[in-house]
Amino acid sequence: MTTGALIFAQNNASIDYVKLATFAASRIEKYLNIPVSIVTDSTDYLLSVYPDHKFDQIIEIQTEKNIQEKNFYDGSLSTKRLQWKNFARSTVYDLTPYDRTLVIDSDYVLNSSILKSALENNYDFQIYRNSFDLAYERNSADFQRINQYSIPFYWATAFVFQKNTITQAFFDLVTYIKENWVYFKLLYNINSSTFRNDYAFSIAIHIMNGKHLEGFAIELPGKMIFAADTDILISADDSKMKFLTQKKNYLGEYIVAKTTDLDVHVMNKMSLSRFIDGGSGV
Amino acid sequence: MEVLVSKGFLVLAQNTETVDYVQQAYALALSIKHTQSTISNISIITNDLVPDEYKSVFDQIIPIPWFDKDKESAFRVENRWKFYYATPYDETFVLDTDMLVLDDISYWWDYCSNFDMRFCSKIFNYKQEPVLVDIYHRKTFISNNLSNPYFALHYFKKNQASFEFYKVLEFVVNNWEFCRGTFAPNDPQEWPSMDLATAIAIEISGMQDDVLDKCNPLEFIHMKSPIQGWDYTPSSWQNAVQHSLNSKGEFTVSNIRQTRLFHYVDKDFLTLPLIKKLEELVNGS
Repeated sequence: MTTGALIFAQNNASIDYVKLATFAASRIEKYLNIPVSIVTDSTDYLLSVYPDHKFDQIIEIQTEKNIQEKNFYDGSLSTKRLQWKNFARSTVYDLTPYDRTLVIDSDYVLNSSILKSALENNYDFQIYRNSFDLAYERNSADFQRINQYSIPFYWATAFVFQKNTITQAFFDLVTYIKENWVYFKLLYNINSSTFRNDYAFSIAIHIMNGKHLEGFAIELPGKMIFAADTDILISADDSKMKFLTQKKNYLGEYIVAKTTDLDVHVMNKMSLSRFIDGGSGV
Repeated sequence: MEVLVSKGFLVLAQNTETVDYVQQAYALALSIKHTQSTISNISIITNDLVPDEYKSVFDQIIPIPWFDKDKESAFRVENRWKFYYATPYDETFVLDTDMLVLDDISYWWDYCSNFDMRFCSKIFNYKQEPVLVDIYHRKTFISNNLSNPYFALHYFKKNQASFEFYKVLEFVVNNWEFCRGTFAPNDPQEWPSMDLATAIAIEISGMQDDVLDKCNPLEFIHMKSPIQGWDYTPSSWQNAVQHSLNSKGEFTVSNIRQTRLFHYVDKDFLTLPLIKKLEELVNGS
């Protein structure tokens, strides 16, 4: 059985997801020692700008025709409205060259080998439901359930699956939900105007669970630790990271948070990008 | 020689001007007939007219024993200590009428058969989240260190131990002001409830370990709005989330499949179309 990781990277006008993916891949190789492939609509860009990349395979996809936009924050005082290309995630079953695949967002930074155990067990599908916000006292109810009346929230940011008929059915279901998003958005009382993989995955998991609580999705080890895009990455050295986290009720003010040996979802992609470029992320 | 033991569910229905509790009992009986693989007997205690079309689902229609003091009561709990005397079964599960049984709970009989009595003390909201401490409805229980029984779901064997417990319960119900003042003086609950009366009866009889235990599988979904985990508490949960019963008998609230027993609470929850669906599930049409 082959095992590897897959990262999706589709650049927009401001965010170089290929760069973020290259960085995330280096962390996967360091901590998990598995091959990493990239799924991208920017192959030429990757080959020209990052000729020394270490990706196992470059899996090319078409640039998405459906265009949706969202606000990308860079700290609590700066925001840009940019394209958000996230429709390809449900096709991961067909795209992956591996039998068992770890899929992560390009802004998910590994600082530990905690996910190794997930790659060594025999579960069909593993994903995070439990999460931890690095910011103190921020309301994270949005990440507990898709809304307060509805089903549990799962993070499509990181998951592990092995290829079989069950996971194929799951990703077919995610595709079906995506294609009928207007209906499912209404059915599950979702306010967001944009399609979001977290929601589609949450709905699909809920259906795979027989509309009950458990059965299909197994929790990945640890928790999904995240810094929101209103927070700022300062540094990431070895397995340590340092952030400025948005202070509750004080716009533009921050509190320092440090992590050691914790994988972190760094939602502020601009800040992460600045750090990768060699500066601090501020 | 194997001794045949009769087992069944028992409900008390006393109609008011606005609520047809007999109809609720009928819907509950249909849900039991549809879901239970072993015991689906159910009897109703009532002094109200049971329509002919409802009669076939009930084993027995039992008049309320002795007098009916409830008629003069605003809170209508005065007859509930009579279950012990009215039951036609050797082993009985008492349920509130405003419930639906959604799963096969046959194993509950197996578990409870090891004991004289068992009260439910675990409830969940429709999101399947356990309600560990109900600070909205159980302040007086917490303040007075009382146990946390739910009279709406309990089991008893017809034997001396249960008889003695029900005698204490009768005493509490009939001497409510005295018992409440003595055993639940902190954060006093103004209205009499069978849950509080039961907690006091457990306290008086010292039967905590005999009627409650952590492994007890008796659980139900409680639809009182304040315990649903919402920022805003609507007067009726039906104003916040939708529900549906499909042709397989799967009942969902906000797309979440409900399990065990569903205590719907809202008096206007039960509709004729819903009853018709339950009838179709039982009759297979």
